[in-house]
Amino acid sequence: MKDHNDDHAIEDIDCMEAINGLYAYLDGEMDDPVLISKIENHLCHCRSCYSRTEFEKTLSERLRKTAGEQTPDRLHQRLRNLIDRF
Amino acid sequence: MTVATINHAIAQADGNMRVACGFTDTDTNMMTDDKTKADFSRCIETCLDSLYGLALRLTRNSADAEDLVADAVTKAWSAFSSLEDRNRFRPWLFRILHNRFISDYRKKSIRPVEQTYNELSVDSGEDDLTSLLIKQPDDFLLWWSNPEREFVNSLLGADIMSAIETLPEAFRITVLLVNVEGLSYDEAAEVLDVPPGTVRSRMKRGRTLLQKALWTHARDAGLVSDEIKRCTS
Repeated sequence: MKDHNDDHAIEDIDCMEAINGLYAYLDGEMDDPVLISKIENHLCHCRSCYSRTEFEKTLSERLRKTAGEQTPDRLHQRLRNLIDRF
Repeated sequence: MTVATINHAIAQADGNMRVACGFTDTDTNMMTDDKTKADFSRCIETCLDSLYGLALRLTRNSADAEDLVADAVTKAWSAFSSLEDRNRFRPWLFRILHNRFISDYRKKSIRPVEQTYNELSVDSGEDDLTSLLIKQPDDFLLWWSNPEREFVNSLLGADIMSAIETLPEAFRITVLLVNVEGLSYDEAAEVLDVPPGTVRSRMKRGRTLLQKALWTHARDAGLVSDEIKRCTS
């Protein structure tokens, strides 16, 4: 008897393969839809990789928030003067 | 009518128009310069905070960071006319700044150049990386998923940059460009003058080492409970 999920079965991957693609996946740098599906499928049933992914997402958000340095006014002025002299 | 004739006619019409408006060639050149300068200024303004942030993290010194930005801007202006695709201005400017840092500023930077994790060469094979990923983070994940997570989470932001500081330079700059400054892998590859695959590989290694550094920091700072230490010992 054919399982109703067979038509949409996604090949399972191991933790090693999931980890290898994890950062590109999280950074939106993965353009292979098949591999994306495999990783997402793996994350659905692997607690360890899911936890790692959650941590990496949180860390990525924190890293983004560490950006946002304000250029000092004196540097703004210095560059204006510099460009005026070009 | 040939193309050359058409071009000649356009040039002549353009010249006539300028003469009719009272413009000399010098005036026209000045207007072109002013427009280019205005374009350049706008391009600089759109990414200045990000550029300064990167310079600050590279030099670890606000005075050096300001000098580095000014140097990069001067260099960028001299090559601005050769930049065909203005949409690539940001990675192009970052690359100039990075090159200036390597050539002139790194020597006097406080940062030691030696690699902290000598056991991992920058672009070596995948086995050591995978081994590290599989073995190392178990302790970390156990700690991360425990009830202290929220407490640690509230402190982590202040410590992340110091953890990044412990990364070998190749990984540190890649993580900074992608995760802090938000460049794509392709843009980071352009800045660093390496293939995109190298950026991908360095991101994996850099982020793994960052996990390890954070775990070590949390443990050394006493942020890991005795219960977790017992579980992971």
